[in-house]
Amino acid sequence: MRRKRLMVVALAIAAAALTVAATASGGSGGSRTSGPSGVGSGGKMIGSGGGFGEIYKAPSSTLTHALFHANLLPANKTARNIALASFGRSTKNVNYALALSCWKNNGCSTGTHGKLTVAYVEGFGENTFRQMSKMEFILEALTYPQIGKIIYRSAHSDLNQAIADFKSVIAQHVSAIVTYPDFGDAMIPVFQEATKAGIPVSTYAWGYVTGPGKNYTTVIGEDTCKLGQAFANVMNTKVKSGSIAFLGGFPGNPLSAGWQTCEQKALNSNINVVANDPTNWDPSKVQGIVAGILAKTPNLAGLSYEDALFMSQGGYTAYKAANIPYQGVFTYRTDEAGMGCLADKLKDPKLQIYYFSAGNPQIRLALTADMMKLAGAKIPPTIVFPIQLQQQTKRDMCLKGYPGTASGTSLIPLSLLHQMYP
Amino acid sequence: MAAASSPPRRLRGSAGASGASLVATAAVAARFLPVWLATGALFVVASIVAPHSLGNTSWSFVLPDATVLAVAALGQMLVVMHAGIDLSTPGVVSFGGNLIAGVGAGSDHRLAPAIFACLGLGVAVGLVNGIFVGLLRLNPLIVTLAVGQIVLAWSSKYSRDHVTNQPLVPSGLSSWATGKPLGVSNVFWTGAALTIVVALVLRYTTGGRRFQAVGANPRAAWIAGLRVRTHVVLAYTAAGALYAGAAVLLAGVRQSIDPAFGSAYLLAPIAAVVIAGAALSGGLASSTSTWVAALALTFLTQMLVTMGLSAAMQYIVFGAAIVAGMVVSGDRAALLLGRWLRPVTPPPQAAA
Repeated sequence: MRRKRLMVVALAIAAAALTVAATASGGSGGSRTSGPSGVGSGGKMIGSGGGFGEIYKAPSSTLTHALFHANLLPANKTARNIALASFGRSTKNVNYALALSCWKNNGCSTGTHGKLTVAYVEGFGENTFRQMSKMEFILEALTYPQIGKIIYRSAHSDLNQAIADFKSVIAQHVSAIVTYPDFGDAMIPVFQEATKAGIPVSTYAWGYVTGPGKNYTTVIGEDTCKLGQAFANVMNTKVKSGSIAFLGGFPGNPLSAGWQTCEQKALNSNINVVANDPTNWDPSKVQGIVAGILAKTPNLAGLSYEDALFMSQGGYTAYKAANIPYQGVFTYRTDEAGMGCLADKLKDPKLQIYYFSAGNPQIRLALTADMMKLAGAKIPPTIVFPIQLQQQTKRDMCLKGYPGTASGTSLIPLSLLHQMYP
Repeated sequence: MAAASSPPRRLRGSAGASGASLVATAAVAARFLPVWLATGALFVVASIVAPHSLGNTSWSFVLPDATVLAVAALGQMLVVMHAGIDLSTPGVVSFGGNLIAGVGAGSDHRLAPAIFACLGLGVAVGLVNGIFVGLLRLNPLIVTLAVGQIVLAWSSKYSRDHVTNQPLVPSGLSSWATGKPLGVSNVFWTGAALTIVVALVLRYTTGGRRFQAVGANPRAAWIAGLRVRTHVVLAYTAAGALYAGAAVLLAGVRQSIDPAFGSAYLLAPIAAVVIAGAALSGGLASSTSTWVAALALTFLTQMLVTMGLSAAMQYIVFGAAIVAGMVVSGDRAALLLGRWLRPVTPPPQAAA
């Protein structure tokens, strides 16, 4: 009898608590309208000409928003044209309600009855960066009336699932595939299978897999070696001498290896790299690793890492727990608003932050490159953006109205971003 | 009378008839002592190869993190005592943390309902697991994994809708977690108190002793009139509540919630419980030894980072340490000691 009563009490507690959760969390629907597929339509138009169904022109305000400066376009002429065509599509109007529904439901029919189906397939899609990239992909796809269907797949970090997803979209005879190759060269066989079937495959955010131009269409991103050299330049001029640390993503990933190797080589001899640890791009792991580094090197003078957001979460917490001031020279590849807002809050002149861009809009170029390839264009195997690091004190990462986890260089219109993350 | 006609029994390796209680004491000691000795040895090694890992900066991370793992492991321990296993831990911790941020909405005024929602979620998930395993007799490995996946998926959706825009936990919780009365984190004191409470309840209350009796021998407990199935349901429900408690503590330590929140708690709590001396086939377990095992695992990870080993070497050393922990685990030690000390029955005399 007493046991039964206990179970009833447990059930009642659980039900009451879930009711509290459901009611307390609330939620706002927000108004849903149509609007431009990207940010910025003002300023003069950059570029000229066109071809393969594209116009090679983009507003300077869009370029400035995504790249920091309108002239930071790829040097290669075709690559530059692809970038201009892609960014130029940000002025085209799309249906935000449809985009949101497509984003929430991981795919949709666009309603245009276009004959083409495009797919964004990735090994892991659960963080904000990937979710925002998914929305950028959808917004870009909605600017093409010939695209009738959008497919999205995430393998939740499971290689077998990633391969199965890729094979599945090939079997569905999609017209084009955009991907982030979380499992690197393990994806080569399915890339080759798609290429053999005449399906263009492009990667973004320097998701480099061996054989671009041969095994797949193209890879879009920045030159990671030059990124490392830019980081080293900051360390050489700001730290001058002392101990610094590197953090990376998953062990052996090409992005981290790319910049770390080149930064190490370009550092002056008075700077000592005391740690180089993989974080799996997991903020919880970042906290433990930074705590370990600080235990050994409490006077750490600088740190280089891809993810600014994680250093504003796990990294900052480690400094706080260790009672060590959050000071030093930090170089990041990404530009999430949360890091900037933390720096603004701390207002410490000894906290010096230099950053690049998370590069969400690069996925738009991947789709445009695929579409141009379908139209018969010859696509360069790499589309490389030049590097120009920004300084937090001169260009604040903390943008008004942006979620802390969002990159400020994203081209997702703010009103839509608010509907994604109410 | 069978007992009367039985041949005299003696203990192998024991000097006298009073050896029965000695066997029991030795077996219990052998079960739980190795983890304490191994942890002591780990600290000695650390003082030689990585002295920085024993400094204040390192402890400021290790103690709160070890405590969170220990609280989750306590929940797992209750389940393992009944020959079960619970793979829903990451789901509960993840969703629990998201509820702290989502319901809390960054406001201290909403912290209480947020904690209440988190604990309620843990109880609800545990109860569902308990009903499936205890009443419907489904395989715990499969059913808790399935329930955990559903909870994780729900957590992911909730996170997208309510947390991504505001991932910070209420400042009251994060300030409390960074507070250090007597120089040690509040999280540690809370976890230590919880561990002591669980230990005392299991050892000194009627309910606790019944709980242990059912775990040690369900058939005997059933014959004695105890409700075995109800105890299994209770074990999973209490475990769910402890996972949710771990989620509250972890949210305070991390201060913000991310998509990977709680993902580290799938196997680590099970490893801590087994290294502490519990048998996956059920039976006795020790709360304090589980806590020590959680501390050892967390400290080892931190020591390897402090040593500056490459990622590959860290994985190799950590994996080797887990294997070594299993080899010298209390469960195996108790088994070997039990075999050595078990009563030996002389062969029956041939009929005249």
